[in-house]
Amino acid sequence: MRATETAGRATRTLRGEVAEHELIERCRRGDEAAFRELVEQFKGLVFALIARSVTNRARAEELAQDVFLKVYRGLPYFRGDARLSTWIYRITVNVLSQERPDLATASLDEIKPGESEPRIRPAAADRAFADLTLKDRLDKAIQRLPIAHQVLINGHYLKGLQYDELAAALDLPMGTVKTHLHRAKRRLRHLLETEFR
Amino acid sequence: MNCDHLEPLIEGLADGTAALDAFGRAHLETCAVCQARVEQARDIERYLASREIPSPPSTFTAGVMALVADERWRTEQVVDLGFNLAIAAGVLVMLTGIGGLAWSLGLLTVTVDLDTILEAAGTGLGGRVVSQVQTIAMAAVLLTMALALWWWTEADSSF
Repeated sequence: MRATETAGRATRTLRGEVAEHELIERCRRGDEAAFRELVEQFKGLVFALIARSVTNRARAEELAQDVFLKVYRGLPYFRGDARLSTWIYRITVNVLSQERPDLATASLDEIKPGESEPRIRPAAADRAFADLTLKDRLDKAIQRLPIAHQVLINGHYLKGLQYDELAAALDLPMGTVKTHLHRAKRRLRHLLETEFR
Repeated sequence: MNCDHLEPLIEGLADGTAALDAFGRAHLETCAVCQARVEQARDIERYLASREIPSPPSTFTAGVMALVADERWRTEQVVDLGFNLAIAAGVLVMLTGIGGLAWSLGLLTVTVDLDTILEAAGTGLGGRVVSQVQTIAMAAVLLTMALALWWWTEADSSF
């Protein structure tokens, strides 16, 4: 039973790879409909990833369109070593990094001892989280995270992005994605307790 | 187990990917600070999972395709400019070649009147042209290739 499921998944994956390869080849041959299909396929996740990091919707749209323009320019040089989705998400991360260069190079390491130590006050914490401004505080705090952590958090909670795609897009070893995600959320919690109280 | 030991596990506890041993559970049950941190992490987890996914506007794809069309037009402009320059250079080379050929045939050293030239063209020129047939053929091939390249570039208007 399990072997059958595994074989079925492998077949679907293979079909997907063949379809992706065909789509890329059609785009390379100058098929406008193929490129439109590519945009339709990825625009949701690309736009969502960017719009969650860039609050200005018009700017987010510009950046998302810029991603696809870069995809168009890069298609003749895309060798197919990585999956198309991975390549597109990597371009998305680069575009976001160019938009916020100050956050692009920020360290992804653990919070250093003594740096913005959370000042938890149990009695006040419940009140704080009951506050209706929590959403705004969290949104602002997310935008203060390093770009890689933003992409991890925003990407993880978008349906359709897998750990391996996030790992490849961010150049992180697959085994460390979960650790980095926890670090990102921990940093978010610290920011909420320090700068966005 | 103390608060420092528990701190790195809080996000895992909040999203259900980590579990505490007996010592950890005992600490958590009695430590208000760690309980508040876990609760806070769970609130963050709930918020992150419930956030609305932003959707691109309905005009998004059309906008991308317009940008791509603009990009293609600019690229074609550059190609056209390069092609036109190449054609101009080719024409210049051909004119120089024709001039050189004419000079080698002695047509540029006009020392006689028109009647003499026409007479020479009718009689002596034929033999001279035959002796330069390779040069003339090469010029014809170059011209044909240039025209074919131009036709191919103009015809390839896909994408």
